[in-house]
Amino acid sequence: MNRRELFSGSIGECAACPGQAGAELIPNVALRTHDDVPVRFYDDLVKGKQVIINMMYAHCEGFCPMITSRLVEIHEELGPRMGRDVFMYSITLKPEEDDPAALKGFAEMHHALLPGWKFLTGAAFDIETLRFALFRHDHIKLDLDLQVHAGRLRIINDSINRWLHVAPMASKATVLQHIAWADPPKTLAQRMEDNRKQQEQIDREVERFGYRKVI
Amino acid sequence: MLIAPAGQGIEQGIDMMRARSRARVSLGGLVLLLCLGLLLGRSGMALAADACEAESQWVATQTQRHFMVLAGRSDVFYDRSGPAFVMLIKATAETADIGAIGIYADDVKHPRFGAVPAATYEEFLSESRHAAEVMLRLEISGPQYERVLGILQSWDRRVRETALLYPDIAMDNILLVKQATEELNRCGTTIAAYALDWGLEDEISEHNSARRIPFEYFKRLRQLNESRHVPDAAMPGALLTASDVPQNLPTKE
Repeated sequence: MNRRELFSGSIGECAACPGQAGAELIPNVALRTHDDVPVRFYDDLVKGKQVIINMMYAHCEGFCPMITSRLVEIHEELGPRMGRDVFMYSITLKPEEDDPAALKGFAEMHHALLPGWKFLTGAAFDIETLRFALFRHDHIKLDLDLQVHAGRLRIINDSINRWLHVAPMASKATVLQHIAWADPPKTLAQRMEDNRKQQEQIDREVERFGYRKVI
Repeated sequence: MLIAPAGQGIEQGIDMMRARSRARVSLGGLVLLLCLGLLLGRSGMALAADACEAESQWVATQTQRHFMVLAGRSDVFYDRSGPAFVMLIKATAETADIGAIGIYADDVKHPRFGAVPAATYEEFLSESRHAAEVMLRLEISGPQYERVLGILQSWDRRVRETALLYPDIAMDNILLVKQATEELNRCGTTIAAYALDWGLEDEISEHNSARRIPFEYFKRLRQLNESRHVPDAAMPGALLTASDVPQNLPTKE
């Protein structure tokens, strides 16, 4: 008798994954990078990619420097993945003040001129469109408060239509976990390898601290 | 319920405004000023300061008058809400520029967001006598007019480019009326304000559906600003009636 497998045993292919809907949800506005290169937000920066997006402005003395420092740490953790399959975009909330040079200065000051990380500015109309599309709260007061928007991190994997957000000042492990939730589906072998590494880490923590310390 | 913006309505509204033989709203100066400001790298704060300086130096004349009208009606749509929009009028002895943006009813009484057709806004050129309607007409300065016009033009562009800020036009309209009315007080107190901010003190947002909020907001502003309301008797007679130009212009499908 010929036997046929009912199930593949792998979730790597993702045949049923939905197609990209980002083109309808993410404004394809014209922006300029900190190197003064013109880009289209969706077509050039997001389409088919896994991206981490935050909003800031160069003269922000509150959240922005802290969040940028946290993103530098996240960038370090992601290592060679940055610029290859994960990208970071920091969009100014105050395009009237932040031209490409101002953003480059901000990035330099915070040691954030790193691979796969772009600081972006554009027309105020387009930045507002982008801000609402990516960070809208559906609350009139919150949506008009620029400081509120500076305190969120949007994670999108356009290739699998996955959107998440996380507070950037959450623990580094929490932020990394959220980024991992937007990773492309892995093969069974990859997942088993990840589980093996994670178990090793848990074992080390239990040995050292007596309990599992990190998520 | 999500309702798509009405591109057709905007075109219709704009065509009608043009066909009325009234002078087109002249924005060249404002746009040029904004562009120059950006080119020179001036901050938004500096531009705002300039705007207030212009307002403080502005001198009212009898040859050119500016009005902002907040108009709304209830019990039109299925949820008993209705049109609510912001209308701007600039009038001289010979011409009047009129335009309105907000929610209006289309031919089958569905809510649409965008440039309001003349036939609809003309119903609010003179004071309403119906309990289900509200109209607050304020005489404003030239600089205030230009600033509010900039806000309305930005929303008109959002409709044209399908770049609205919310998936529900009711929310867009709340933001529009909030921005337009609060702009009047940017450089000083022109009207008695109501804090439409969805905060704990905002009873209008607390007790009404999003689609009805602008209507209730206009009603409250009318109560708070009764003394500032310009009655029909104080308006140029030509601005109180509908234009005699035919309104049945072709619409774009």
